[in-house]
Amino acid sequence: MVDALTRSMRASHVLVAILVSVSLVIAAVGVAFDDTFYLRLATEALIFAGLALSVDILLGYTGLLSLGQALYFGLGAYLSALVLMVVPSFWAAIGATALASALAGLIGGFIVNRVRGVYFALITFGMAQVAAKIVYNTRALGASDGLIGVPVIDINLGIVTVSSASPAGFFLLVLAMIVILYAFAAYLLDTPFGRLLIALRANEARIPFLGYRTMTPRLAAYVLAAMIAGLSGALYPMLRGFVSPELMFFETSGNAVITVVTGGAGILVGALYGSALLTLLKSVIGSYTVHHLIVIGVLFMGAVIFLPKGMMGSIRPAIERMLARREPK
Amino acid sequence: MSEAAQYFQFVLAPQMLIGLVLGVAVILVALGLTIIFGLLDVINMSHGEFYALGAFVALALSTIGLPFWLLLLLVPLIMLPVGYIVERGLIQRVFHSGDRHVRTLLLTFGLGLVMEDAFRLVFGPNPHRPETPIAGGVEALGIFLPSYRLFLIIVGTAIIAAVAFVVYRTRLGAMVRAAAFDRDMAASLGVPVQHVYAGAFAFGVALAGLAGVLLAPIYSVFPTMGRDFILMAFTVVIVGGMGSITGVVVAGLLLTQIQAIVSLYISPVWSDPIVFGIMVVMLMVRPQGLFGRLGHG
Repeated sequence: MVDALTRSMRASHVLVAILVSVSLVIAAVGVAFDDTFYLRLATEALIFAGLALSVDILLGYTGLLSLGQALYFGLGAYLSALVLMVVPSFWAAIGATALASALAGLIGGFIVNRVRGVYFALITFGMAQVAAKIVYNTRALGASDGLIGVPVIDINLGIVTVSSASPAGFFLLVLAMIVILYAFAAYLLDTPFGRLLIALRANEARIPFLGYRTMTPRLAAYVLAAMIAGLSGALYPMLRGFVSPELMFFETSGNAVITVVTGGAGILVGALYGSALLTLLKSVIGSYTVHHLIVIGVLFMGAVIFLPKGMMGSIRPAIERMLARREPK
Repeated sequence: MSEAAQYFQFVLAPQMLIGLVLGVAVILVALGLTIIFGLLDVINMSHGEFYALGAFVALALSTIGLPFWLLLLLVPLIMLPVGYIVERGLIQRVFHSGDRHVRTLLLTFGLGLVMEDAFRLVFGPNPHRPETPIAGGVEALGIFLPSYRLFLIIVGTAIIAAVAFVVYRTRLGAMVRAAAFDRDMAASLGVPVQHVYAGAFAFGVALAGLAGVLLAPIYSVFPTMGRDFILMAFTVVIVGGMGSITGVVVAGLLLTQIQAIVSLYISPVWSDPIVFGIMVVMLMVRPQGLFGRLGHG
């Protein structure tokens, strides 16, 4: 027996499978044409999709808008860059980031979860702003220049070794990483924990009467989002070889929110498609004019007004119906 | 003269005056923000861009030869219909959805992005610096202050007092407060709530535009001018209590004085993190801010 929530999650899986297939084709074409630029761009789109995914866990499942998710993304990027400069090991960077972002998410979660609604948006915004300004002013972290000279690393995956300088190889690695993060989040949100989050969004005052705590699941969702943002950020210096304080600025958080809302909030897969769409738009419009923000801004406003479920949120019900028909009666 | 008095005259007082000028400026921008939140329950993320719009409209009009004094009157009048149309045409479209806070915030955020890029398209990315309308300076008690900044403090204070008077002492203000307190009750007593809402948004936006005109000679005009300024305004609104006019004035003066005095002792680059830190702590311990909301108490 499959209930509506599991079925809708499976519909998201179908959409992710389509995206992965397209990505594999892109990788193959990229290798065939010996391309670097577009593969790097697609890799960046995937990295920012990870950040958007973390925004969606908060916005789509707990109903809380985070305007400061770049805090954890930036933390991951800076920490990963620092680790790589000392020990050029992928796993050391990822491990350190996972630990640090979980810890930061726990501390941040205690601070931000004291408030709800619009205050949550503002406190996350304020916290990220404080962190960004501190990084921007700290000489040891390169201040406004950021950290440059992150070395190229060889990533040992047991069977094969992938160099972060290989466009197609690193693209596939990032793809795998983002799919794992997606799968992990999707799995957790389909368990009773995920249902508790949805219940919290619907009516928080009732949850204690059902015998559940409200703080624990909120905090857990926040830590999960912080870890996903941090781990996505950890991939950034491997791709670009540098980190800059812009990664922590409001533009980064704002972009992630635009990505999720355009792609569709509360379905996880919207973040991935949204990031692909926005990156595509930016590079296509960017080749004609520098004023791509007008187009993206108008598109975003249109999505907020006319398409509150977002692009994928409007498509997914069709796939859900398809899956429902195939289920044994 | 004692050492303490000298310290006050040459170090502390000038710094506090600079803080006061910034304080009045921030309060002007934050007033519109807090009125819009207090009445409509909308976080206007594009408020900084309306502040910039005021400055850019003034810049455009001054190139055709209009004097600064006329612009001071004209720009807010131009901003009123703009704000009215934005409220009726955009914000009302998502106003009645279940998730009003998030959707109106997102919508105004998008609007801000579009406006900022439009400024860059029309006026270019470089800063413009309008001529100071009043040259020279005055010296009082041994403290030197440029005349225009003194003018800004006086005019700004007058505007703030006028806004407070309208909201708290006139029939129009009573309607606004009634609509903020209980929309349905106000409507059934004959308050044209729809127009009050759109009017309040237009009024808030016009105030931001006026601040843009007033501050352009001091802080220059450039496409992202709203972004840097609005963070401070948001902080002031949060610390003062969202929707409270008294709160904005108190928090505005308090925070800019803290910022000004702190910059004397530690590097000024750290004053921003300190101010935002105060905002975060305030949200943690007292999210409703120092004072209550508009129409509540």
